[in-house]
Amino acid sequence: MSLVKQVILNADEELRYPDPGEIRMMQNFFKTGDRRIRIAAILANNEQRLVDRGSRRFWQRCPVTPSNSGNPRKTSSCQRDQGWYVRLVAYCVLAGNDQPMAEIGTIGMKEMYRSLGIPLANWVEAVRCLKEEAIVLLGEEDAAEAVPYFDHIIQALALPGTPYFLNNGTSDY
Amino acid sequence: MQDAITALINSSDVQGRYLDTAGVDRLRAYFQSGDLRSRAAINISANANSLVTQAVAKSLMYTDITAPGGNMYTCRRYAACIRDMDYFLRYATYAMLAGDPSILDERILNGLRETYNSLGVPIGATVRAVQSMKEVTTDLIGAEAGREMGVYFDYICSGLS
Repeated sequence: MSLVKQVILNADEELRYPDPGEIRMMQNFFKTGDRRIRIAAILANNEQRLVDRGSRRFWQRCPVTPSNSGNPRKTSSCQRDQGWYVRLVAYCVLAGNDQPMAEIGTIGMKEMYRSLGIPLANWVEAVRCLKEEAIVLLGEEDAAEAVPYFDHIIQALALPGTPYFLNNGTSDY
Repeated sequence: MQDAITALINSSDVQGRYLDTAGVDRLRAYFQSGDLRSRAAINISANANSLVTQAVAKSLMYTDITAPGGNMYTCRRYAACIRDMDYFLRYATYAMLAGDPSILDERILNGLRETYNSLGVPIGATVRAVQSMKEVTTDLIGAEAGREMGVYFDYICSGLS
């Protein structure tokens, strides 16, 4: 899903052409295309750096977490997932819309991690660290294009539901 | 449906990769043609009625098809025909904006040939009408945007025949 697709589906629902406001929205979207391609490319080229530094930041805040337990399989799957989410953020930056994130990455995410026994509060913190590293990498202005999608992940995890695992530093994950 | 962006994202995602250089180039070209596409869409939507009228006048109105016994004879059938032409134009415009023909398959072409055959609607005449719609649309929006619209009109024609 991109902004263009959304406009078309809305118009089709009402059997009409896109209205002037929608066209203007699309024109703005097209105009910022080069900038968004550039930002997505920076994210793509720096995925490893974001994941490495984000993890270090994360482990400082949450030392007791599966990825820091000394089990290399847990560490690598946590970092693999972080990398995947950076990739999804890059897709969203290109699409100008959070739908790729939702369709690929956040619908069912909470259920999946819970069934895997991942402490959700820690995962929120890990994503927050990734976001902070992304801001450092991109600078405030460019980061504005990418940050909302990191927040999308955080919000998807924070939606009300059954209580989360508490991150009080005492659990032995 | 897909658009130029979604299609690239989906095909990269199944490989777990970022967009490759070719994909980025395609995307950049799409963004750069965005203004052209938007202006063409505004133009078409302002003139949709007259485009259909002109296309029908050019290809169908003065042929046997509107005479008694033809498939456009009776106002009801005539109205159904111009309604379909209107749909073709609108969906071709959507596809042109999206830069991807998949919406045509999903919303128009799936099962259309079978429907037309069972209603006795002649495919050849429909294709001629779509082709003349391509011509009148190109006259309206200019050669460059017309070429892009032409891709999707041709897509409809090849889906029908």
